[in-house]
Amino acid sequence: MSNSTSDQALKAHEPSYSTEERRTLPSGEEEFFFDVKTSDLEVNMGPQHPATHGVMRVLIRCDGELVTGAQAHLGYLHRCAEKIGENVEWLQYLPYTDRYDYLAAMNNNLGYSMAVEALMPGFEVPRRATMLRTICVELNRIASHLVAYGTYGLDIGAITPFLYAFREREWIQSLFEKICGARLTYSYIRIGGVFNDAPPGWLTEVGHFCDVFEEKWKEYRDLLALNHIFIKRTAHVGVIPKDMAIDFGLTGPMLRGSGVDFDLRRDMPYMAYGEAHEAGAFDVPLGEGEKGELGDCWDRFSVRVQEMMESIKLVRWCLEVIEDGPIIGDVPKVLKVPPGEAYVGIENPRGELGHYVHSDGGKIAVRCRVRGPSFTNLSVIEELMVGTLLADSVAIIGSTDIVVGETDR
Amino acid sequence: MIQEQAQQALSHAVHPGSNVFVRILEWLPLPEWVPGWVITLGGVVIGMSIFLAVMSVLVMFCVWLERKVSGHIQCRTGPMYAGGWHGWAQSIADGVKLLLKEDTIPNEADRTLFWIAPAIVLGSIFGAMVAMPLSYDWWFGRMDLGVFAILALSSTTTIGVVMAGWASNSKWSLYGAMREAAQVVAYEIPLGLSLLAPLFVLGTFSLNEASAMQSGWFGMKWAIFTNPFLIPAFMIYWIAALAETKRAPFDLPEAESELVAGFMTEYSGIRWSFFFFEEYAAMLLMSVLAAFFWFGGFESPLTGALRASGVEETSLLFSVVCFGTVMIKGFVGIFLMMWMRWTLPRVRIDQVMTMGYKYLTPLALFCVLGAACWEALQHLIFS
Amino acid sequence: MVRVNRYFQDIWDTLKSTMIGMRITGKYLLRKPITVQYPDQRLPIPDRYRGIHYLEQEKCIDCLACARACPIDCIEMDAIRHGKELEWVSFTLDYQKCMFCELCVYPCPKDCIHMGTEFALVVEDRSELNYDLLSFKGMAVDARVRMREAEEKKKIKEAAKAAKAAEKAADENDGEKGSGSDGGGEV
Repeated sequence: MSNSTSDQALKAHEPSYSTEERRTLPSGEEEFFFDVKTSDLEVNMGPQHPATHGVMRVLIRCDGELVTGAQAHLGYLHRCAEKIGENVEWLQYLPYTDRYDYLAAMNNNLGYSMAVEALMPGFEVPRRATMLRTICVELNRIASHLVAYGTYGLDIGAITPFLYAFREREWIQSLFEKICGARLTYSYIRIGGVFNDAPPGWLTEVGHFCDVFEEKWKEYRDLLALNHIFIKRTAHVGVIPKDMAIDFGLTGPMLRGSGVDFDLRRDMPYMAYGEAHEAGAFDVPLGEGEKGELGDCWDRFSVRVQEMMESIKLVRWCLEVIEDGPIIGDVPKVLKVPPGEAYVGIENPRGELGHYVHSDGGKIAVRCRVRGPSFTNLSVIEELMVGTLLADSVAIIGSTDIVVGETDR
Repeated sequence: MIQEQAQQALSHAVHPGSNVFVRILEWLPLPEWVPGWVITLGGVVIGMSIFLAVMSVLVMFCVWLERKVSGHIQCRTGPMYAGGWHGWAQSIADGVKLLLKEDTIPNEADRTLFWIAPAIVLGSIFGAMVAMPLSYDWWFGRMDLGVFAILALSSTTTIGVVMAGWASNSKWSLYGAMREAAQVVAYEIPLGLSLLAPLFVLGTFSLNEASAMQSGWFGMKWAIFTNPFLIPAFMIYWIAALAETKRAPFDLPEAESELVAGFMTEYSGIRWSFFFFEEYAAMLLMSVLAAFFWFGGFESPLTGALRASGVEETSLLFSVVCFGTVMIKGFVGIFLMMWMRWTLPRVRIDQVMTMGYKYLTPLALFCVLGAACWEALQHLIFS
Repeated sequence: MVRVNRYFQDIWDTLKSTMIGMRITGKYLLRKPITVQYPDQRLPIPDRYRGIHYLEQEKCIDCLACARACPIDCIEMDAIRHGKELEWVSFTLDYQKCMFCELCVYPCPKDCIHMGTEFALVVEDRSELNYDLLSFKGMAVDARVRMREAEEKKKIKEAAKAAKAAEKAADENDGEKGSGSDGGGEV
């Protein structure tokens, strides 16, 4: 149950259970006193635990139900993703990017592709490819937020919202299956454009999905986000003030949940997001402390729920402006990237996903580095969990919406 | 004086017979040298085994129903293959699987307690069920204080749960056990208090008599229709019953996402299924108790019609109708419990305590007071 | 007063949101399930589905482009060349490694390797996951025919050449004879 170091630590202050005091009362009876000292309980949450969303281990020190200390242990899912990037060709690394944040594989493909494209001077991605990329990325953001919504419900104890969320996620996945053939690890967005053009009727179905999703979204909100028990469980829990959020380098919904108005799609626009924002196609939802304090778990959850709707708006805008054309730029089969280095950060569903690539002009990257949003966002939980109840600590881990594949890479 | 009158009024409704199985044994052509205590003991043994079998079947049906209800609520189908029609034999298949499964006991566990705990849990809940009559004529123990027996025995399961949590020698189990202890102690109070309100209205502790008291209005003089304070009292009872039976949103002792499986983390096989059984048996018991004290017990328009057409209360037909009525009411309650479970998130432990002590207990007291005042007013006006 | 208000507000909110939630779940309870009973019913698989590969072996020229494009080197092929024609020994794809990324499909110059719609990878032993995509071993029938024709043509050519040479030699009245070639076929 507890590891060896903590055993030694406990032995150092071993409570003297045996000290026994005897006292004779005036009535002649003998009274015993046992000097019983208590120590905090160390509980190992993970590596296999329903609340850790994968194989993460959180060592929690508890005083009854109260958490007095927490430490996150990572690395159970480390797969050397970055090192692989320095050993395979530029295009060959693409399927590996699918696998660190497996809930938002399109976004990872996009981040890596954009980083490599940034190294190729004067290269322009065709407009249709950009639009297809945007549609796929935003649909994937919805899918990822649906998982976040559902699993947060599971953490809080409501099982049904999870299955409702997965119902719509299945639809998105089958849309992706139609355009690229895979349901989870897409490898669809490639360096220079996209792999395939949309099959006939695909864009119409995406439009249909948007209409249906809007109805379902209201149900999601009523069923879980506005449920009073859920609000009681998440409001005033795990509060991250503005300064703390910036200090810890949080990004994405974690940051916006604390009321910091920062979204890479709007503030450092890439692809067609600048144009979309000018056209008023999306807003950036912020936490407002509506049900509790600013920056609590409910705010972060609510930001994710609202972002789904913003993504739907963006997809609709893309469906309006999309036009026929080539889907991939002029990229040679054996790609040799001009020497240089580039960092491109994009707005993943979890925050800023950065790719840093360094080329020496060859077929293989010299250095490939990934800045994962989950990893950075996870750092805050140790701070937040102290002083909460055990059930709250589960709510806090859930509200960070980590993907362990990405924290460990 | 008043009590005697009430007794007389009741005597026409309640059959004063004896344990149904003793009667069967008495009716059998046994030789004369068989002593009387053998007949009584034999009646009890046979009665208990039949009773256990019937209850087990009902509980298995509950398990199947839970899976179907949860499946359909979540746009799934639930089990579909075992047995053919909509997987009706799924519970039986599960039972066989659990029987054949390896029964693992952790090395460091307290083996004796680990063995005893599921037996206590199952024994106490089935013990509580003995106080539950199946019809006016079919019952196993004539208990004039049946409610007390049910409340006392059903809360004995806590001892088994705490025992299981402690004996497992796992921190998660210990957490589950401690939560169970705190939760059940907190919710015994509103549960008992909210039951007091219909007890005032019906004036009896016996389930049989409570049902007989509601036999007016062609079988529709249910307690909940006679006193407006019984409606909030029922809601409080229902919430407290959910907490007593460890059902979501009060499933903190086994809180899957927090404590892995709570007090039954280390259990497996048939021993685990005892806890599972207990949960569904307790659900059935709580629902049936609600049916007896709020929703007319055996009484429905059907029993009213039978009574009007002159069918004797001791006849087989009447007994079967009574049993069917109370089971339908019980299963409606179970369905409601399932529906709530698959809708609501789980509450936190401090919120459970707050809800029990700060919300339900004062409101239950208010309901008791209100119900008593209403009865007194009625008495003043109509007499 | 605010606290008293909040006390009753909490009770009301809980009851109300529970009712809203139960209305939504109750609505789906009465609807038809959306799942299908898998082995009996199957969902349609789109054309672009990335399942187990299939190979148009007749087209394949053993150029190793797909093997080179594979990020995990799970494609291995082996063939013996007889001039233009190929004699296939193996074309294996290790599905323990394969991640169905479709990168092997694009570089193919003859467009002969494709992703299929078969997805079940159920085997009893790991080694069975090393699939051989060949539909036949050795040489294709038409390749054999083509090769024989080519050989015959070659023989005829050589014979004609030899005859010419012999004529020439006869013309020059030399007793020596030109040695006949033994052809290319060593099968």
